[in-house]
Amino acid sequence: MDQTSRRQFLSRTAALGGAAALGSFIDPAFADRNDQLNILCWEGYNSDAILDPFREANPGATVRAESGTSDPDMINKLRAGEVNVWDLINVNQPWARDQLYPENLIKPLDKDRFLPHFEKMLPEFKNYPLAFDDDGSLIGMPQRYGPFSFVVNTDVISREMAEDQGWSLFLDPAMSDRYGVLTYDNWNVMHMCLTAGLNPFAPVAGTDLDTFRSTAETIFGGAKLLTDDLVAMNIALINGEIDAYFTGGTYTASPARYDGASNVRAITPNSGPVDGKGGVVWIELTSAVNNPDPSSLAEDFLDYVQGPEASKKVAFTEGTYNPVCQMGNPEVMALFDAEELDAIQMDSLAEEMARSLDYEVIASYDELIEIYTQARRS
Amino acid sequence: MQRLNNKLGLFSALPMLSILAIAFFAPLLVVAIFSSMPPKVFTLTHIPDFSAYSVFFQQGFYRSLLWSLGAAFISTVILLVVCWPLAFGMAKIFKSFTLVLTIAVVMSLFVSENIRLFGWVLTLMKGGLIEGHMRAWLGIGFDSPLYGVPVIVFGLVYAYLPFMLFPLAQGIATVPDDARQAAADLGASRWQIFAQIDVPLAAPGIVVGCLLCFVLSAGAVAESKILGGQAIITITDDIETAFTFGQDWPLGSALSVIFIAIVSVFALLAISVVDLDKIMGRKR
Repeated sequence: MDQTSRRQFLSRTAALGGAAALGSFIDPAFADRNDQLNILCWEGYNSDAILDPFREANPGATVRAESGTSDPDMINKLRAGEVNVWDLINVNQPWARDQLYPENLIKPLDKDRFLPHFEKMLPEFKNYPLAFDDDGSLIGMPQRYGPFSFVVNTDVISREMAEDQGWSLFLDPAMSDRYGVLTYDNWNVMHMCLTAGLNPFAPVAGTDLDTFRSTAETIFGGAKLLTDDLVAMNIALINGEIDAYFTGGTYTASPARYDGASNVRAITPNSGPVDGKGGVVWIELTSAVNNPDPSSLAEDFLDYVQGPEASKKVAFTEGTYNPVCQMGNPEVMALFDAEELDAIQMDSLAEEMARSLDYEVIASYDELIEIYTQARRS
Repeated sequence: MQRLNNKLGLFSALPMLSILAIAFFAPLLVVAIFSSMPPKVFTLTHIPDFSAYSVFFQQGFYRSLLWSLGAAFISTVILLVVCWPLAFGMAKIFKSFTLVLTIAVVMSLFVSENIRLFGWVLTLMKGGLIEGHMRAWLGIGFDSPLYGVPVIVFGLVYAYLPFMLFPLAQGIATVPDDARQAAADLGASRWQIFAQIDVPLAAPGIVVGCLLCFVLSAGAVAESKILGGQAIITITDDIETAFTFGQDWPLGSALSVIFIAIVSVFALLAISVVDLDKIMGRKR
């Protein structure tokens, strides 16, 4: 029997520790990262239901996904030097073209491989501009999306009335203390601009800033509760604490609807200040991180999630339920049942999309978020 | 020989001490340097202009700081009052029941704070455990106490009770029964025994409990977010917003530095007035 002395044990442990520490430095030169894939994403893509089939197709590969809690949080990780950790990043549409790509944090995708997927998407995504940079590079693949404006309890406020009244619903003194504000701050800035009759995607200056301030103060002043938790907000809506909430959409309403509360409905205003539109739609783009030691599995995974089974799973994982642009493919559409389609408000999705603006970078975000946080504190 | 041994001990500990020092101070140093950077930059390679600090006053962040400190102060006072009799019982009266109480309180810490607070939401909300049952059984409905300042203070008191209870019980346990009995024999009233024997002798426990509760409550954000519907915006909330949606790391860092500085002053003041060695049990 091999007897190991304490001294031998310690020296071996030290040698192993040293090798492990050294290994992390020499990794890029010697290791093949094609057996690893790290995905930074909104919740859903990190579900085993989506990852496991890909793992089975790539035995021996370590596939890992971590969900973020906001776009800026995830982008901060890349900025803080985690570009050499992640291979794919999944965030909403404006960030890729306006921040991630110019800052060299993501890289273009192979057009020959990915452009054919656009042919099978819903009509509004067939030539989706924000997936491309000005130089024509394909910088992200769209998948989940959803109109995002506000949510009402239709037992108290009818859908027609909410759509007609639009954002001014929240300025109505009768609504004071009857609504909540979901503190997705970047969305609120955008929506408060629309409520104030301003275009959030054009520079806001001068007296318009005062209009924005008074609108923000009115909305925060009349709010019964503020929370960044959509479940807490839906519960407050269902149990009658509030009758509506500012900032919300299919993304936030669908879990309650799928749970049977079909009176919780995401609303897109009939009209608004920008080209007659008052709603906004988010569209997630998944991009390849500009990892200095890239993994070929990144594009393989992106290709895999375009398939019918994977698309359906992306739409309906745990947490929230959302439409996917791959629903333009009849094979994908056939996988949804009536209950699921009702949860994501498929009956009005196309018309809501037509009344919605693309979520873009807010032109005067720096000034507006300052006013917004001040109003929130007051 | 003893001196040589002591020196060898120090030398052997040096590598680990330096790693601990780097691990502790490096992040704080980065935050401090970031706080001096111009607005909205993401690297430390800019010329410091300390502009983020002026924003603290211009944009009313002091209001969030005052809310945080105020709520922390009130909850600490309430905790002290609520926990004193319980801690006294645990230290002097309950005997074996003290163990049951300790296990019961400690077990609550096994569940995440957010989940426990969400449990309170389900209990207190309209149609929740209390109002729902009252309405169903007695036909009496009422507005929920959620989404206000009092429920935030309640949440802080609930969440940080163990952090006051145990140091307090420890402090009270160090008060010699002989001293209390002697005071009583000499004709001291209950109030005099409390004010002149119990409080001064249990002071280290009181200070440690108050310090823990104050510091933790001042940095708390979940109570305001989950129970209070952000009826008050805490400084921690503002720091989080600056780093995330605000994308202004220098501002977030400056707010953090101000907050750390103020809380550190309170902490240093508190520990300078009592003999912590006494409660830590070090031999003198």
